[in-house]
This record gives sequence, structure tokens and C-alpha cells, in this order.
Amino acid sequence: MTGETSTVETLLDSPHVWRGHGRAHSSAGLPSGYPSLDRCLPGGGWPLHALSEILLDNYGIGELELLMPALASLTARDSVTEGRDTSAWVAWIAPPFQPYPPALAEWRIDVSRVLVVRPRDAQEVLWSAEQALSSGTCAAVLLWPARLDDQSSRRLQLAAEKGASWAIAFRPLKARREPSAAALRIMLEAVADGTDLSIVKNRGGQPAVLKRFFEHRSGADGG
Amino acid sequence: MPRTRKQPARTWEAGSTPEDTGPAVVTRAPNAPQYLLPLEAAAARVQPRQAHAQAAERLWFCVYLPKLPLEAVPTPAGKAGGVRVLCEDRQGMQRVLLPSDQARAAGIVPGQSASAALALHADAVLIERSVQREQQTLESLAAWLERFSSCVSIVGPDVLVLEIAGSLRLFGGLRALRRQIAEGLQAKGFDANLAIAPTPLAATWIARFGRRACIREATNLMPVLRRLPLRCLDWPAKLCATLKGMGMETVGDCFRLPREGFVRRFGGHLLMELDRAAGHLPDPRTSWRAPERFSARHEMTAEQSDCELLLNVCESLLEQHEHFLLLRQQGAQQIRLAFFHLRAPATVLSVGCAEVERSARHWFELLKIRFEGFRLPEPVIAVSLEGGLPRPLNRDSAAFSFERRPMNGASYSMRQLAERLAARMGDDAVFRLGILADHRPERAGQLQTASSTRPAAKSGTPVACPAPRPHVLPPPRRPLWMLPEPERLRVREGQPWHKGRLQLLSGPERLETGWWDSGGISRDYYRARGPCGHQLWVFRMRERQQADDWYLQGYFG
Repeated sequence: MTGETSTVETLLDSPHVWRGHGRAHSSAGLPSGYPSLDRCLPGGGWPLHALSEILLDNYGIGELELLMPALASLTARDSVTEGRDTSAWVAWIAPPFQPYPPALAEWRIDVSRVLVVRPRDAQEVLWSAEQALSSGTCAAVLLWPARLDDQSSRRLQLAAEKGASWAIAFRPLKARREPSAAALRIMLEAVADGTDLSIVKNRGGQPAVLKRFFEHRSGADGG
Repeated sequence: MPRTRKQPARTWEAGSTPEDTGPAVVTRAPNAPQYLLPLEAAAARVQPRQAHAQAAERLWFCVYLPKLPLEAVPTPAGKAGGVRVLCEDRQGMQRVLLPSDQARAAGIVPGQSASAALALHADAVLIERSVQREQQTLESLAAWLERFSSCVSIVGPDVLVLEIAGSLRLFGGLRALRRQIAEGLQAKGFDANLAIAPTPLAATWIARFGRRACIREATNLMPVLRRLPLRCLDWPAKLCATLKGMGMETVGDCFRLPREGFVRRFGGHLLMELDRAAGHLPDPRTSWRAPERFSARHEMTAEQSDCELLLNVCESLLEQHEHFLLLRQQGAQQIRLAFFHLRAPATVLSVGCAEVERSARHWFELLKIRFEGFRLPEPVIAVSLEGGLPRPLNRDSAAFSFERRPMNGASYSMRQLAERLAARMGDDAVFRLGILADHRPERAGQLQTASSTRPAAKSGTPVACPAPRPHVLPPPRRPLWMLPEPERLRVREGQPWHKGRLQLLSGPERLETGWWDSGGISRDYYRARGPCGHQLWVFRMRERQQADDWYLQGYFG
């Protein structure tokens, strides 16, 4: 590469330049553990330091399984790169059920670094999510907001950027019609023999549909 | 009055009793150098009159609580009586330590095994003994007794003594004081033996004996003391047996023994104890002190509703609090702020902290968060701050291991985040996860409040996270979502039903465990798929072998 092109590259990488298409300033993503999904995402994985949304109507269709490999690599990260990146906590804000520690441990998530928050109302869900995201100590913040308007999602996005954290909001399918500042919106729909995954919004990438992302088989299957 | 007594204090029997014969002569050898007890040195110099004057100055009130282990157990309101049995673990056997009156009427006696007690009365409530609970009860009682005397002392696991000579005038005489204490104890639900004597040990022994004695004069003490049986002394059982073997039945018998021989056989401390009881030796008692707590109040000149101003007031109170703790090298884990209104009851705000803390700035940060979602119903006329129980400050506490390594670029630590969240939403809103080595699904995973200092392990042992195995991920068998309680499923045509017919994907996995405690389970677990495509973790009870006992326990999220 000549010096000229590298100057252009630097210029294009500057956050002041906005490009409508392409991988303008997408940093390397966090591998999701599912190669088929990674191929569809810019940066080859989950967009870190941003808000992702997972839209679904029924719990228990693999929505956590989708995140587990990435969360496991986040909580294990400080043992890999000793002393550099230690913000390896995962906060669960207003989960619909209780996350089950032995199952998390099976996914190699360090349960001692999981914080579960049970706010009393919708306002507190957003407040605690913002606190957790901007604190800089949580590598990922999972939240189940009762509602999330455009403005709140923008605040979460900004907080995620500020604290270099990954926000994942779980929302109902009908929220697909509402605008959101999320960098990535993924829709999960249960079908006859598995779960379809469709990428509705993909900043710096293309929407995509992955049929039978999770397949249900009788017998010993991961899930 | 002390002058009426002619004999030197050092001699046991004052030479007036008929049984004071041979051995007493030996005890009167004051200059014998072979047993140099403090008594001998002191008594040789101290004039007997002075010794008596000293003894008469003080009057000790003893509160002996023979049923404290049972009385310390909190009883639900309206169920004061009942057949309750306090049990203690003795050599692996649950044995009855103390039955309640009704239990005693049912034939339950101390020393029985717990199962025998249950056989006698099936509805008997068995209560495990807790020494810590008793100690706390005793301390709260000591705190209450402090209103009667400046010197209250906790003597043993069930005995309190207080010095009352200085309080007699204030409370209108001995009889009135005694009545007040007795009535107070009764109102608190304690069955106490009370005794008054010029020495604390004598009072204790008399109270243990169960006599409602009141001895004001030192001269009257010895006759009473002499008649006390040895069991009141709380000496080791083996020693009592030895003494009994020698024919010693009462305290008076011990007094008659030759002093040097007694010391040689049983040790000087026992003789010293006898001397102290008789008032020949001083018996200083350290008085119990309730832990100090901070309390401060700020009165406004006028009603205020401005939050900024109130926060400033709180800040200055918190600074006083910090100073108070600083002087004592302590910290607090909780503070309580009360805002007083003119026309409404006070608004109370308690703020907790994950670790023992004293920094005013830290508390103020938490308070500010608390204030954000907080509305005072009325203007405030006064603010008070009450510190929690002061605890030793432990800077290196690893209880809430958030700060294992220094954070890079973190604006604040995880501990602070948890505190901020708890400050606004309450302690019961922030949890950590824990794993116990137990096969029962509901016990294996636990939620612990983030502010708890120790893991809430009830049974089993907390296990560490299994070491990551490279490359190979075993197929997860447990669901990521758990219901707080298993939910009973409807059954249609012999099939479990949850929003539709459930299709069993895999199983059964049989979990049959916990038979050793009350929470035993016997279940067949299946992984099932619902009509909406969601995967459930369901189980069927095995005990009753009924097809309709299906439960939902979790979701494979």
C-alpha cells in the first residue's frame, strides 16, 4: 500500500466521516461462537460498545444460547489478557426468570462475575442499565425493558459507548416497527422444528435471514 | 454496723459457730508462708473493719435466667405458650435441653432424645439451640438493665449482675427497685431468679439456688452462704463429684476445709472464688457497655423543602459521623436518616453499603442517588442521622470480590456500582449468583444479595466455577432460565400441557436425592417442546406414581 491510500483510509476511519454504506469504522466484533452468524455481521461478530436488540415473543427459544459463547469469552477474558482488560462483569437487569447458575457454569461463564438486578419499575430498569453500562466495569449488560423508546435506546447506545460495554436488550417482536438506535437488531422466531434468526438491522452490514438457526432434534442436543 | 463484728475478716467462721473446731484452727494460720494467696498478703495488712466497710458499700443484684435458651427464641404473637422443646446436639443425637411448661406437662423431660419427645407429643415444636441468640438476648437485657445501674455485668451464659447500692435512693429504696426490675423482666417474658447480696458471687450463687433472698448486711451473708449446696457454684461436675466423695455437700463444708490443703488439691482459684463470695477479697466487675452508636440531629430554623439545602445538611451530619467513626477506628454498614415534618410522621431513609465504610463522601454519593428518586411529602423541620452498628473497618475485605484487580479506565468499581444500584432500589434488588454442590435444581443455584458479607450457603458446599475445557463444550443439560418455584402443569389426555400439548424431546433424567434432610426429591426430568417452539424443563413426581403430577421448572433460553 502506498502512503496516499493509507491517508485516505485514516481519513475514512475518522469518526467525523459518516459513510452510508460499507464498513466505515466498524471495529472488530466479538465472535459469537456461531460461524454462520459471524459471517453476516460486520467485524465478524457482535458489535461491541453498542446496543444490540434481540426481538422475540417467547422465552425459551434459544435467546440466551445465542449469547452464551460470547459472554463466556467476555468473562474469561481477564484470565487471557492478564491485567489489560479486566472489565469482565455481566449484569442482568430485570430478567423474566432467574438465571440458573449451574447452567451458566456449563457454558463456562464465571458465575461469580454475574450481577442480577431486579428493579421495581420500568424507569429503574433503564436507569440501572445506564449506570451499569457507563460504569465501565460491566463487559455486557443484558436487559429486559418493559418498553424502550427511541430516546431511551439512544441513551443506552451512548452509555455503552462511554463505558465501552455491550448492551443487549430483549424486546417483543412488535418492537420491530419502532425506531431504535441499536447497532444490531436480531429477530428470533420459533418455527416447527427450530428457531429462525433474522437480522433486521445491521449497522455497517446487510440484513440477513438464517433459517433454522437452532434446530430441535430429539435426543441429546445442545440448548 | 460493721463494727459489731469483732473477728478478723480473714477467718472463715468468725469463731462463733459450734462446728468451727479443728480445721478452722489451721485456716487461721495467717503467717504460714507456704500458700501465698493474695488474700494472705492483703488481709494481713488490711484492717478487718475496712474490709467490711468496703463490702457493705456495695450491693449486688443478680438476675439468673434458668430458661434463657427457650425464652430467647422469638415467639410469634399470640402463640406464647404451646408445647415447645429446645434441643441440643449431643454426640450426634438431638437431645431435649429444655422443655416449655406445657411440654413438661406432656411428660417431656430434659435429656430425652428429640424423637422420644415427639413420640410423647406429636405436635411439639422442636427448636434448635443457638448460643449466639442467647448471648444477643442477654446483651439486650443488659442494655435494658443499664437504666437501673451504672454497673451491669454479664457473668455467664445466663447470669447478669448489677450493682444497686448507688441506685437505691433514686429508685425509692430496695423494695421498689427490686419490684421494678422483677416486673420489667416479667413483662419481657423472662422467668428470672433474683437475689441480692453484698458480693456479686454470693448473689449469683443464691440466685442459682433459686432462693428469693435479699441480704443487705455482710454479717447476714455467711449463714446463708454456708447452707448453699455445691451445685450452685457452677464448678466442674468432676470437681463437685470429688468434693461430694469427701463428704462436702454445702459451701459451708468447703469453708471448713483446711485452706492450704484445699489449694493444694483443687487450686488457688477456687479458694479465691470462695473468698470473693464471702467478701474477704475484692471482686471487681467490668461493666458491660452497649456498643456506641452515632446519633446527631440538625434543627432547621424554618421549614425547608429545598433538596440542595437538605443535602448540605446531610453532608455536614455525615461528616460528623465520619469523625465519630474515625476516632474509634470503625466504620458502619448502614445509616439511617430521618426527616421530621411538622404535620406528618417522619420520613426515614436507610442507606446501606456493600462493605464497612466511614468516608462521608462515599455515604454522600449513595445518599445523592437515593435522593434522586425520593420525594419528601412535606417540608422538613429537622434531620437526624443515626449510624448503624459500628464495625471494625476492614480495608482489605474480600467479601464482595469485585475489585480483584485494578480497573483500567473504569470510572468506578463494581462494588460502587452495586452500591449505587442498591442505594436507589434497595438491598433486595441487587444479587450475585452462587452455586452449591447439590443435585436438587432449586438448591444448586442461589441468589445472594450483593450486600451480604458471606455466601448464603445453607447446605452443601459452594463450588467454584469448573475450569474451562478447551475446544470441547459438553452438551448443556440444565436450562438457563429457572422458575422461582416449580409450576404445576395441566394434564390433558395423559400429556402435560403448557400453552398446548408438550412434546417430550429427551429424558427421563432421574433425580432422586436429598433423602437425608427434609427437602428430598424424587423426580423424572424431561426436556419438552411447547407449541410455540419454546423448550421447557419439566418433571414428573415419582412418589405418588400419578401421571398428572407434572411440573415446569425452567426454560432452555
